[in-house]
Amino acid sequence: MVTASAFFLRWLPTYGAPILVLPVISGGTALAIYLTQRLRYRARSHGLAGESIEADLSAVLWTALAGVVLGGVGIVVVLAS
Amino acid sequence: MDNSEQPRPVTPSRGRLAERLLPGGEEPDPRFTLANERTFLAWIRTSLALLAGGIALEAFTSGLFIEPVRKGLAVLLLLLGMMLSGGAAVRWLRVERSMRTKAPLPLPFIVPLLAGAGALAAAVVLVFILWR
Repeated sequence: MVTASAFFLRWLPTYGAPILVLPVISGGTALAIYLTQRLRYRARSHGLAGESIEADLSAVLWTALAGVVLGGVGIVVVLAS
Repeated sequence: MDNSEQPRPVTPSRGRLAERLLPGGEEPDPRFTLANERTFLAWIRTSLALLAGGIALEAFTSGLFIEPVRKGLAVLLLLLGMMLSGGAAVRWLRVERSMRTKAPLPLPFIVPLLAGAGALAAAVVLVFILWR
């Protein structure tokens, strides 16, 4: 995600400030993953010990949504340029 | 170890979203749930690589490809990355549902999608190189 953010910054000189929405989305997603990883690790460890883990639906859906939005905005930028 | 000393399975309370999108069945083996998540993350990594590749193609290859080819390939990669990202979530959901109900695992439609689009992108580049 951070690498993708760096790639999006490459478009900054060409498209200006509005393109910052892309690194903000990917960087924000990366930051959210980083900040919550300890919490998720602990929950998973307890789940394994207790033989039951609830599927982490919201994490999966948010990550997938970030990918879809990044791709969609990227396509719009390429076609509009 | 006596059977009475083994840890009893814990049934966590499920959220509304989980009740709605993953109804019925029972929690699968936690190792399978984690394996399903790892597979999802592998697809997300592939999706991000395609997104970054599409942007790199558009940003760095202006001297190599003519504009329509460059844009076409960039859009193809971005579209594929976008579809893989969404498809990975759908695949994760379908596998999770199958595991909950102990049904056979569904076939992954994103595998032929990735293979087909990869072959198409390679063919476009090949034709362009030969034609150039």
